Amino acid sequence: MKRKWGSAFVVSMAAACLVSACGQGNNSGTDNAAGGASKEKVTIRFTWWGDPVRNKVYNGVISQFEKKYPNIDVKAEPTSWADYWTKLSTQIAGGNAPDVIGMHQFYVSDYAERGALLNLEPYVKSGVINLKDFPQAVTDSGKVNGSLDMIAQGVTMSGQIYNETLFKQLGVQPPTMNWTWDDFINEATAVKKAFIAKGEGKDHWGADDESGAMEPVFEYFLRERGKDLFTTDGKLGFTKQDLEDWFAMWAKLRKDGVVPDAATEAQYTGVAPEQTLFAKGKVGITAIPANQLYLYQTAMPDAKVRLVGEPRMKNGRNGEFVEGAYLAIPKSSQHPKEAAEFINFFINDVGAGKIFKLEQGSPGSTKIDSVIKPLLSPPQQSEMDFISNRLKLASTAPKPPKGYNQIAADFTNAAQAVAYGKVSISQGAQQFFEQVNSLLGQ
Amino acid sequence: MGGTTLKPLHEVQKRTDLAARRYVILRTMSLKARTRNGQSSMAGYLFLTPWLVGLLGLTALPMIASLYLSFTNYDMINRPRWIGIGNYVKMFQDPQYLMSVKVTLTYVLLNVPIHLVVALLIALLLHKGIRGLHIYRAVYYVPSLFGGSVAISLLWKQIFGGGGLVSNLLEHLFGLQNVNLIDSPQTALYTLIILAIWQFGSPMIIFLAGLQQIPVELHEAATIDGASTSKRFFRITLPLLTPFIFFNLVMQIISSFQAFTPAYIVSDGSGGPLNSTLFYTLYLYQTGFSNFQMGYASAMAWVLLIAIAIISAFLFATSKKWVFYSE
Amino acid sequence: MSLTRVHWFRHVFNILLGILMIYPLLWMLGSSFNQENQIFRDNFFIPSMPTLANYVEGWAGLSGIGFDRFFLNSFFIVAMSIIGNLISCSMAAYAFARLNFRLRRFLFAVMLVTLMLPFHVTVIPQYILFHKLGWINTYWPLIVPKFLGVEGFFIFLMIQFMRGIPKELDEAARVDGCGPVRMYFFVILPMTVPALVTTTIFTFIWTWNDYFSQLLYISSTNLYTVALALRQFVDVTGQSSWGPLFAMATLSLVPLFIIFIFFQKYLIEGITAGSVKG
Repeated sequence: MKRKWGSAFVVSMAAACLVSACGQGNNSGTDNAAGGASKEKVTIRFTWWGDPVRNKVYNGVISQFEKKYPNIDVKAEPTSWADYWTKLSTQIAGGNAPDVIGMHQFYVSDYAERGALLNLEPYVKSGVINLKDFPQAVTDSGKVNGSLDMIAQGVTMSGQIYNETLFKQLGVQPPTMNWTWDDFINEATAVKKAFIAKGEGKDHWGADDESGAMEPVFEYFLRERGKDLFTTDGKLGFTKQDLEDWFAMWAKLRKDGVVPDAATEAQYTGVAPEQTLFAKGKVGITAIPANQLYLYQTAMPDAKVRLVGEPRMKNGRNGEFVEGAYLAIPKSSQHPKEAAEFINFFINDVGAGKIFKLEQGSPGSTKIDSVIKPLLSPPQQSEMDFISNRLKLASTAPKPPKGYNQIAADFTNAAQAVAYGKVSISQGAQQFFEQVNSLLGQ
Repeated sequence: MGGTTLKPLHEVQKRTDLAARRYVILRTMSLKARTRNGQSSMAGYLFLTPWLVGLLGLTALPMIASLYLSFTNYDMINRPRWIGIGNYVKMFQDPQYLMSVKVTLTYVLLNVPIHLVVALLIALLLHKGIRGLHIYRAVYYVPSLFGGSVAISLLWKQIFGGGGLVSNLLEHLFGLQNVNLIDSPQTALYTLIILAIWQFGSPMIIFLAGLQQIPVELHEAATIDGASTSKRFFRITLPLLTPFIFFNLVMQIISSFQAFTPAYIVSDGSGGPLNSTLFYTLYLYQTGFSNFQMGYASAMAWVLLIAIAIISAFLFATSKKWVFYSE
Repeated sequence: MSLTRVHWFRHVFNILLGILMIYPLLWMLGSSFNQENQIFRDNFFIPSMPTLANYVEGWAGLSGIGFDRFFLNSFFIVAMSIIGNLISCSMAAYAFARLNFRLRRFLFAVMLVTLMLPFHVTVIPQYILFHKLGWINTYWPLIVPKFLGVEGFFIFLMIQFMRGIPKELDEAARVDGCGPVRMYFFVILPMTVPALVTTTIFTFIWTWNDYFSQLLYISSTNLYTVALALRQFVDVTGQSSWGPLFAMATLSLVPLFIIFIFFQKYLIEGITAGSVKG
């Protein structure tokens, strides 16, 4: 009997050790920012999301860096987007996060607000990271609650692409750069009508249904109304009426058959560019981040695709805000200085820029912008022109609170419930507000 | 009952050639008696050593840790803080959680019986010697080779999605327009159940192996005694197969309650459309890994464990009545 | 007469069912020879313009490490897992099924309970444990557990088989002075061949396909397995390599198929060798 209790004690002690280790991500690694570079060889680990094509580009940048910094070894640990965040959260929880991590605006709050990311401001001040060539809006887009927690590897702006070849075939006037929501509705309706006239109305539509896209399309819609998705103190920044107006606009388009029915839209949501309705020529217009323009163009060799801005509100404000992919350093890093040197090289080195080009959108540094511009293919150039054009209109959007992914999923669910006809528009809006308020209330 | 009488099973079994063969092997080794009472207990732990080390070293600690975390607000980054039974209370007010319970129960109730019956029938079909047996057996196992690969998810969307195989079939046969089974909240779950049943290979193999363990001599003896085919099936095959039916039943129930892969790959981890394929463990996974509420996820996991444990205990209790062991 | 009709009927049924079963294989095979930009356009599985390019590109692998390496890595992990499972699970099963010891029923219940907890919530504590052991980015976390019998599924499976072996055998052996160790080797194991074969087949296939633990514990590309490498070909935010994905996914099924064909023979012939062919 005694022995049994003894072993139970050992087990529970060991479990307690394990449990206490669960919070370790937050404690270690408070190295000083201005520490001198050590001569001994240091290995830093770098993780990003990517496919084989993209990974080649990143590996190219890494080998350039290693040539210039022979005392720093960079270990590449790429993962595809679908697995990236699961692995990263496990690594951070396990106290084993890489030293440089690819970060994204959708996820940054969850890490930053829980204190997992290093504030990079001291490295900027001490000159390890040089942001002189970064426009202020781009630098600011990496801040969470005023703390510079990530730095853009590339910035992008949202827009809508249309299939120019298809528009010509159907005889529809193409959209213009600064079109309005009314124009959007008219264009999409015209495309649908032309499809019907051709006898293809059954499985062809004017545009994709973006009603479930909280970010970026709904956010543009809100910002044009002078509001935001979130307030700076992490609450919802819009009213139920805003959401009802949004749902109503799409419900009308859906009823008229201008956008696909709920099931069809669900089938083609979250798929790779080459599998989308747009790439199959079944819709004429869809929303994308500008840096994916070339992916769609590659997937559609027989068509010419073009990019215009997100629709605007008549007499409304600019909806534009900076999006992109970022780099961050977790607090647990044992080599934050070397990690910061790597980030600096990534964003400022001309050689790195020439390799990286537009992999994650336009470079943050305007200097690199001008260096790589002559090296780009025509679709890449128009992509870059679009981004720099829209960037002038951009302002900062408040970062989402913790639990962003749940909020985005709730939003999509509410929009889908309306689209499937399960709930009315006001019920759908009500449902979303209740869910989010209970989530943020915690 | 008919005119023939069957000999009791254990008596027939003694005739097993094989047993005699092993026995001869043992005899020729002419070993000296070394067994004493009580040695067996030590021997038990001796054979259990690897498993015990694994249990105490690898399995128990993380399990106990997760039980502890279920009473905390652990968010994967900061130290867990004790919040009592908060997570357990929250669960029953969480509409998405309740939805996931409903989805999972539906899945279990449909998948387990159909899966097992299909696997058993096909195993019986294949067990009878027919020409090309090897090929059929391999062919029927093909779906199970894929596991949760990307190819399966693409294929399933292509077959059951709008404009897919089933959609076209329904249009041609019944004139139904634009049927999209996989993206309709009413039907999405059923396409996943079909997917699970289609991958019936593993229980089939276990049934086949179990059928193989039934000594041919038993059937031969019964045939000599004049038993009909159906009598042999119900008096010999089925009783001797019950340990494997029981095994497959318990394991299918456990794995169906924990079903994750089908929904994860087909709905890209969302559990959509409209949470209609939000399996219990999928919601648990989202809660833990995308929403950083690992404490809450742990609580969900332990509730599931208790539910499965109760059902399994019930099955084990009834097993004495219907599972036949020859010991 | 009626017998041949039954036979004929059975064959037709089998063939129809077989087509249903094998359709994805044909589709994948077809897609693997298709032009990459045609994969989502051709509705049928026979490629309009067949090519070998996908195989060439896929075989080149990731980040300069060839796909052959991933195959070798997978083979290594699978082989070790099979050995581990066969040894540890059969030992534990023997203890539970045939030996008497204190706490037997309790420990058996514990063994089953370990199967009932969704593994997602033990991932983090387990990761921390392996991290403390310094095993991250090695194969230890994937192999060692197999030698320590964590796969209760196989223990339970073997128990069911062992309980079917007549007890009289044990008694006879014991009378002849055979201890538990010899009994295990010379009575129980030979009689459990179908269970061991089943374990081998399942361990092969499940380990081969199991990407989740491989994803968490392996970071270096040169340690990648086939399952892990296949996940890298597709990224919805970038330029997915569908063609190479299908090509390598097709190749990755080949070992599974071979193993299955090879071992299923033993599944059938193992225990009743010689007498089944009648």
